[in-house]
Amino acid sequence: MKQIFVRPERCMGCKSCEIGCAVQHSKDKTLYSAVLQSPAPMKRLFVEAGENIRMPIICRHCEDAPCLNACISGCLYRDEKGFVRRRKERCIGCWTCIMVCPFGVITRDREKHIAVKCDRCHKLEVPACVNACPTHALVMVDVDEMSKEKRHMVILTESKAISHQ
Amino acid sequence: MHHVIIGGSIAGISAAKAIRNNNANAEITLISGENVTAYYRPMIPVLIDGQKAEVDITYPDDPIEKYRLNAVYEMATDVDVQSKDVLLSSGKRIKFDRLLIATGSVPIIPDIPGIKGQGIFTLRTMEDAIKIRDARSVAENAVVIGGGLVGIKAAEALKSTVNVTIIEKLSQILYQRLDRRGAEIISLALKNEGITILTEDSVVEIIRDGGNVKAVRLASGSTINADIVIIAIGVRPDMDIFKDSGIKISKGIQVNELLQTNIPDIYAAGDVVEFRELLTGISSVSALWSNAMEMGRIAGMNMTGADRRYPGFLTVMNATEIAGIPMIAVGIIEPEGREYEIITEDSIDSYKRFVFKGDLLVGVIFIGDIKNAGIYTNLIKNQIPMGGLKEKAIEGTMGYVNFIN
Ligand SMILES: Cc1cc2nc3c(=O)[nH]c(=O)nc-3n(C[C@H](O)[C@H](O)[C@H](O)COP(=O)(O)OP(=O)(O)OC[C@H]3O[C@@H](n4cnc5c(N)ncnc54)[C@H](O)[C@@H]3O)c2cc1C
Ligand code: SF4
Ligand code: SF4
Repeated sequence: MKQIFVRPERCMGCKSCEIGCAVQHSKDKTLYSAVLQSPAPMKRLFVEAGENIRMPIICRHCEDAPCLNACISGCLYRDEKGFVRRRKERCIGCWTCIMVCPFGVITRDREKHIAVKCDRCHKLEVPACVNACPTHALVMVDVDEMSKEKRHMVILTESKAISHQ
Repeated sequence: MHHVIIGGSIAGISAAKAIRNNNANAEITLISGENVTAYYRPMIPVLIDGQKAEVDITYPDDPIEKYRLNAVYEMATDVDVQSKDVLLSSGKRIKFDRLLIATGSVPIIPDIPGIKGQGIFTLRTMEDAIKIRDARSVAENAVVIGGGLVGIKAAEALKSTVNVTIIEKLSQILYQRLDRRGAEIISLALKNEGITILTEDSVVEIIRDGGNVKAVRLASGSTINADIVIIAIGVRPDMDIFKDSGIKISKGIQVNELLQTNIPDIYAAGDVVEFRELLTGISSVSALWSNAMEMGRIAGMNMTGADRRYPGFLTVMNATEIAGIPMIAVGIIEPEGREYEIITEDSIDSYKRFVFKGDLLVGVIFIGDIKNAGIYTNLIKNQIPMGGLKEKAIEGTMGYVNFIN
């Protein structure tokens, strides 16, 4: 399975991924109309800066996803590709998922009063954020082919947050 | 191996799922006292004002089919731990190899003159919500006894067509979820929506006229007109049927880390369980959906031979929106003892409260601005030291990136 892999050492903090994400989730999916859309389309990933580090924080579609486990309405579910998605019409905006996502990647759509999260651009071959990143700080990696060492790294960062649940 | 589960809600269903995932051939019987398709209990308030219908809150895939369960729609009345039988209200017996008790909790009913009979409601089941929905269409005045989350949800669901008064015995609403300031903010917002809130008062009598509820009399002496009264003063584990079974009971059904009762082949999960609170170690009951889900899953895995330990639960881990204001409360809200440090941030559109114990975050309240709340929950649940991040945490500039090294 292909997963999005973040390489912080390459991230310049330009936020192209955020823009790519918002455009992809806008009505017409073009930058021009996305800018004019009101309310503005919402991004699903967040470029954050730490002390010596900048990187987009993305939904991990966690194996044992805290958001999915806690959702009180049956809105969040795992689709056939393994992505944690929404059945939008079920969401009642109780924000339980926001309370439990250890990565802080779920936000509120104040207009529609529902939770907003990454859908891994499930209809696209390559997710919009990965496509938009000029430095390839975001790449698609086949988890099965990834070197053992790197795989270990990814799993480590994931389980650090997940084991916490 | 025959696995029998008493209780067909989230704890029972997530156990059934875990059992099925671990064992494709196991026979699993689910005994459900509610004769309906499994549904999301926290969603029932939205039935009352017609925001959603019954089909919108049932499970999208019926767990009975999905996990191939034998469904028995009946009340269990007793357990014979010697012969390993569950007794049913019809007189039938069901033999088990492993049993899970997932009977949840039931509303506490205060002993008030006039409380029995027409016009009195609780809000625990889909059926309860439907009854309130029916009563709402002809009601003018409602009194809600109890200013907790369930009472407030009921009040909000009624307010568009009914005059609602919430009566709270304590000096604030949402006790144990919010501090005084947080409760003030939410109270004000509810009052702006037209809901009346009376604190430090209680209902001492339901006044009836020819059987029908007419009003309630308060401890303070006044009376309030009401044609419907909703009781929402809390819940207690539903475990009366196990009283003489030999299964150990105190505040709830007592279990070990494997979620096993004192009878080795009998497990328990969900609201009915008494176990240690994660932060304080105090033996408690949880009454939360996500905890019931996690316990059910772990119990189910252990019933099929796994050795998963349950670490304990937080009794406060609530997210909701009240009167248009999002709020989240996690962990220890009102600490007792000098080792705790409390920091609050009050602004026009947000209120935050942080409770620290040395370098550990043990509790938060977020009202208005709930961004990144999950990062804080994670710190609390796993007691991760703040390192140098305390300031950032309080400022609201802490993100997941700060935990990557
Ligand atoms: C209005 C409302 C809003 C809520 N909102 C939230 C929220 O936002 N977040 C949150 O975390 N939690 C919330 N909760 C609490 C949450 O619903 C419970 O914690 C959760 O349902 C507990 O699950 P359970 O499976 O342990 O028990 P329950 O859901 O109580 O289910 C137990 C089932 O067992 C059945 N049963 C009992 N005895 C027998 C018997 N002898 N024989 C056969 N069947 C039996 C019962 O009929 C019931 O169907 C809310 C609850 C209510 C009522
Ligand atoms: S918990 Fe957060 S990171 Fe994990 S699947 Fe849910 S939204 Fe994604
Ligand atoms: S806000 Fe929506 S998606 Fe999130 S837990 Fe509540 S119902 Fe589920």
